[in-house]
Formats: sequence, C-alpha cells, structure tokens
Amino acid sequence: MIATRTVLAIAAALALAATASAQEVKQNPAAPAAASVKPTNVTQEMLEKAASDQNNFLHTNGDYTQKRFSPDRQITTRNVGHLHPAWIFQTDVQESLETSPIIVNGVMYVTTSFSHVYALNAKTGEQLWHYKHPLGPITTYCCGPNNRGVAVYEDKVYLATLDSKLVALDAKTGNKIWQSDIADPVQGYSETMAPTVVKGKVIIGTNGGEYGIRGFVKAFDAKDGKLLWTFNTIPENSVGVWATNDATGRDMHRDIAAEKAQLAKTGDPYRTLGGGVWQNPSVDLATNRLYFVVGNPSPDLDGAQRPGDNLYTDSLVSIDLDTGKYICHFQYIAHDVWDLDAVSPTILVDAKDKNGKVIPAVIHAGKTGHVYVHDRKDCSLIRFSEPMVPQENMWTLPTPQGARMLPGANGGVEWSPMTVNPQLGLTYAINLHQPMTYTVESSAYPNGKLWLGGAFKTIPGEEQAGNITAVDYNTGKIRWQVKTPQPMIGGILATAGGLVFTGEGNGRFRAYDATNGHVLWTFNAGAGVNAPPSSYMVDGKQYIVVGAGGNVQLNYKRGNAIIAFTLD
Amino acid sequence: MSTRSRPARLAAVSVLAALLPAATASAQSIDEKASVCAACHGENGVPQPKTPVIAGQQQGYLYLQLRDFKSGARKSDIMGPIAQSLAPDDIAALALYFSQKPWPDLQQPRAPADVAARAQKAIDSIVCTSCHQNNFRGDSTQPRLAGQRQDVLQQSMLDFRNKTRGNNPGMTDLMRAISEQDIADCAAYLAGF
Repeated sequence: MIATRTVLAIAAALALAATASAQEVKQNPAAPAAASVKPTNVTQEMLEKAASDQNNFLHTNGDYTQKRFSPDRQITTRNVGHLHPAWIFQTDVQESLETSPIIVNGVMYVTTSFSHVYALNAKTGEQLWHYKHPLGPITTYCCGPNNRGVAVYEDKVYLATLDSKLVALDAKTGNKIWQSDIADPVQGYSETMAPTVVKGKVIIGTNGGEYGIRGFVKAFDAKDGKLLWTFNTIPENSVGVWATNDATGRDMHRDIAAEKAQLAKTGDPYRTLGGGVWQNPSVDLATNRLYFVVGNPSPDLDGAQRPGDNLYTDSLVSIDLDTGKYICHFQYIAHDVWDLDAVSPTILVDAKDKNGKVIPAVIHAGKTGHVYVHDRKDCSLIRFSEPMVPQENMWTLPTPQGARMLPGANGGVEWSPMTVNPQLGLTYAINLHQPMTYTVESSAYPNGKLWLGGAFKTIPGEEQAGNITAVDYNTGKIRWQVKTPQPMIGGILATAGGLVFTGEGNGRFRAYDATNGHVLWTFNAGAGVNAPPSSYMVDGKQYIVVGAGGNVQLNYKRGNAIIAFTLD
Repeated sequence: MSTRSRPARLAAVSVLAALLPAATASAQSIDEKASVCAACHGENGVPQPKTPVIAGQQQGYLYLQLRDFKSGARKSDIMGPIAQSLAPDDIAALALYFSQKPWPDLQQPRAPADVAARAQKAIDSIVCTSCHQNNFRGDSTQPRLAGQRQDVLQQSMLDFRNKTRGNNPGMTDLMRAISEQDIADCAAYLAGF
C-alpha cells in the first residue's frame, strides 16, 4: 500500500509538471469569430431521438441501441457511384485513427491517437479548435495509443484519455472544464474508448486486460465529474459454475480437478483477473438498463493461476443505469485461454425468439466469429450465427511449444462495431482471418506490466484475409459475404439509402449494396481506413465521413486524414 | 548473470562508490546526480559498449526501470545498488531529466536488406509496433528501440528470453515466441532504424 501511494504521488507530481509545459488548446485564429458555424447544446431529448435525426450523428454508434444505422437516404445505391471527397482534414497526429466522428448541427468532433480532440466545421473541414491532452509520464496500453471518439451532452464534449482520465471540454472553445481520474495507469489501466452520456451520467469502461487489472464500468456526473457508481466486471466470487462447454456447446477441455485444487491453494483470483470493457454500452431507455461485453481474463493464455469460470470475463453483462447494480450476464467462454473474448459493442434489436415471437433482443459479435443473439430480459442466448470465419481445432489448449487453432486471437470480430439495417433484419460484421499459434508460459503477476501468460503468434506463410458478412439475426444464417485481401478492423455503417460503408487496411473505402454485398463505389484513401464511418447532413446535403489513419494491431499504413464525401 | 566486461564492471563499481555517500546528502542537484550516470551512459549520451542509451529515452520507461532496479524486480549488480541509493523523487527527477536530452546518433549502419526482411517478418508476427510504435521510438512506459545500441538490444531480448531479466514477463513470452536468430536480426534492424 505504501509503495503504491508513493508511486501515485510521484505520478501526480510528474503529471503536474507536464500540464504546466503543454499547450492544451489551440484555436484557429480565423475562428471562432469568423467561423461559419458555432457549437450548439445537445439535449437528452436529442440524444434519445438520434436514430431518426438526419442532420446529426450524436453517438459513437449512432444511437443508444448502437445500430449505426443512419436514416439519411440522399446517397443511394443508384447515385453512390458519384460520391467524391468534399474535404480532407489533416490532423497533427500521423498514427492510427479509430475515431467515430460525432456531428452536432454542422460541427464535427473527431479524436486521434494520443488523446487529441478536434472540432471542425462539418461542411468545410475548417478547424475550430484542437485540444491536446497533456498525458502524464506513465501510460500503459497494449494495442496502440488509440482513441475512439468523444461523447457530447449539453455544452460539453467528453474524452477518456490514454492516461486514464475523464475530461470534459467546453464545446465552444475546447477549454477544459473538469478532469477526473478514472484509474491508475501505473497499474495497467488506460482508456481508448469513447464515453457514453445518458441522463446526466458519463459511462466509461477500461482497458487493461493484458496487465492484470480488475475491470469496471464507472458512471461520473456529467456536470462536475464526480464518481457516481462503479460496477466491477470481476465479482469477488469469480468462480462460477465450472462450465465445460462454450456458448455453442463445444468442449473447452478444462481440467476442472486441477482448477479446484488451485482454488483451494490460492483462493479466488478476482483482484488481478482483468475483464476490460473496450467499447460503449447500449442503453435500453425503456428499462433503464445498460448492456455491454467484458473482455478477457488476465493473464490471457495461462489459466493455471486463475481457477474458475473467471466471471464476468468473455460475457454479455446487463446492469442498472441508475445504480450500476448487476442484473444478468451470459458467459460465452468460461476460463478463456485464447483471448477470444467479447469486445465489439452490443446492439439492441427486436428479434425472433426460439418460438418465432419478436422480442427485445441484444446482439454481439465475438472474436469466435459468431454473432450471438440474446433475450434482453435475462441475457439468455437465443441463437448464434453460422461462423463467419474458418474455425479449426477449437478448443485446442495452448502448449509451451505453441498449438495452432483458428480463429487467431484477434478474431473473428475484434473491437470493430457492427451495424444493423432493421428494415432488412440484417447485421453486418467485419472479420479477421489470421491463423495463429497459442503458446502458454506461466509467470507471476508483474505489478502492472504486460501479463500475457504466453504468446499468440501469426504463422508465417499462412494466408491472412478478411470479410464483410451480412447475418440474418432472426435465423443466424449468413445472407452474404464479401472476402477482402486483408483482415478487417475498424467499423461499418449502414444507411437508409440501402448502403453499407466500410474501409480496409489497404486504403480502400467502399460502399456495398446492403441487400447483396455488391461493390458500388471505391475510394483509395492512401492510408488504412480502419475507423467507423458516420453520416450526417448540412444545409440539406448528406455527407459520409471516415478517418484514414491505419491501424497499430495489424500494422496497416498510418495516415492522418479525416475525409468527408458527398454528391455534387 | 552479468555480461559486462571486467573493465566496465570495475568502472561502474568505482562510480558506485563515489555516488553512495553523496546520495545520502540531500543537497545534491539533479545535474550532479545525473553526472554520475555519465561514466557509463556517456557524457553526450553516447554510452560505453553493452550500456544502453538513456538520453532521450522515454520518461515512463526510465522511471519504471529505476523503480524496478531499486525494488529488485530487475536485477543488476551495477544498477541495483545505485538505484537503492536513490529516493523515489530522485528516480522521478532523473527519468524526466534524461528523457528531455536529445537522443544521440550512434552512426550504426542500416541492416542489410535480407536481415531487415527477416526482422520485419518476426516483428509482424508478434506485433512489436503495438507497444513500441510504428517508428520504434516508444511512448511513455514503452522504450525507444530505434537507434539503441545493437549489443544492448540483442542482450536485452535474450535476457527476456532466458528469463535473466524478470521485470516484464510479457516481453519474456514474446521473446520466447521468436527464435534467437530472429532476435539477432531484430537487433541489427532496430539499431540502424
């Protein structure tokens, strides 16, 4: 305890020094007086009606259900071939872009790696302001210095930073209004996700499943940054029911007797069991519930020192919005030793149950390559889709020499959000196919350092690829699939114009026919398009916007462009 | 196990002897404290053989290494006693001090094309850039590798691999996932990057 406090004090002192020397906000000298557009307030009502808001893109994943389905229908299957860049904005940071652009009445907010925020004129790409977060000396992150965007509410813009702070900025100026600590980066906590704001609360999860953290979802007061509640994704009793099969009924080859012996010897491993939450929760406004998925247990590949099911890792979880209290969960893989966890955001849909009755459902795409469909009431599994990627030798246990199994540890579906076209009853996922070997190597908890318990390694010479897959969530059947030359990571957007937009690591940004997957338009961005697109309208004209900055995990070509497209 | 040559070890021990009494006196400035490091790590940031460049290294990384030398999580006959003589705020100050120095150009040659190609393949297989960044200059707690001494890079990777260096088991896992030849190739590639 004493050592921890000392470290914290030093980190705080260093952070102060860094703050003093950094210029946090840069305003365009021509703006804001001359700016043609000024930021406006965002009300809770606007946030709740986002799904039918043609002008704005107010949530990271479109609306509280997270369908990423834009009601905009000006750009259609017939005219999308004429789409061209309206403007290109270059950020100051040439590093992976995972941002979901947020658009509020003609003002766009985007983020970059290393926790920068830009406010832009959504019609022209003109910069209004730029906030550069003064990162503390200690940041700890596994998979790139990424940031996936901001949340907006009233007159503020909310950012979660790489050094695990929650920051509220003035939407008009970019000036910091308040900042709160989310968790201690020295212990392996970091933030790359966008916050979600609902009913005055800022909801945020955490990274750190590769560092032996104890994961959480927290709610902060949107006004002043005060912590309101914490839901620990790892309960003090993480043992569970000793499940031997995964969600699809396959034997995971657990050595339950050895685990029970270990449990008797070392007790419940909950303190360092991981369980990050990488992506935004969906919000059921009717029942006041949040739905999110929890990531892998720590250490990733070595199950020997973490006996039990490792609840609630690799699970869908629902909690109460007001209190943060547990409501239900469903675990996909108990005692995961492959990092084939749950990261892609949940989506609320109305879907058929096993009897064919349409009920409130929640869906999620796993790194396993399945889309899972659940009953929102109790989190129970209704069905799972056909596999979207090759699965081989599941579940072969990792060995000291390395055992080959498919999918590789990136999936399936990574953090990339899916999109839903509710009119077609289809969900669209982007997938990776990366053959890997899984190696186990035991090591003690290293106090906030990288703790994998082995390694996952791509197999040289084995072909890697990707795909875009449309899944009928009422049947679990694949409707169409388009293969891509490289594994896919980033995100996808469906529109009421009958289109689906997504990008690739080779720089291609494409529009597909939502009904059959035919390629209707291609643009080459020059750097990996590995971010989720957004759609919006200004002065009656529809735009599609996406970041082209490449990707760290798959080492796709880096760039620094935010590109908005429109028709003549 | 130390791989240092005898003269280097002797030099370091005499430096240590000079440092220890002084370190107990609190009036010593950070410049004075840092000057002791120069004996091995170099006056202008150019270190002795088998000694890492610390000038311009990432602040968070330097902080954690000194912390780990002090606690014994990272073992070194030379750095252990030196770090033990440092107060926690000295460690933070030294990390900041060296991180603000310019990185020296050691004039190490670019790796030949075949070595670079093999290194790139190994790097891609375990995604080193995920932490060390695309330009291998690191960030915060992740050290800069680009332009580091080739012998230091190779020995560090081998020390992780054979568990001589125990303060980052994740690195041990990754280094055991590639071969010793891969490590030699990566060291040459990164030194000349």
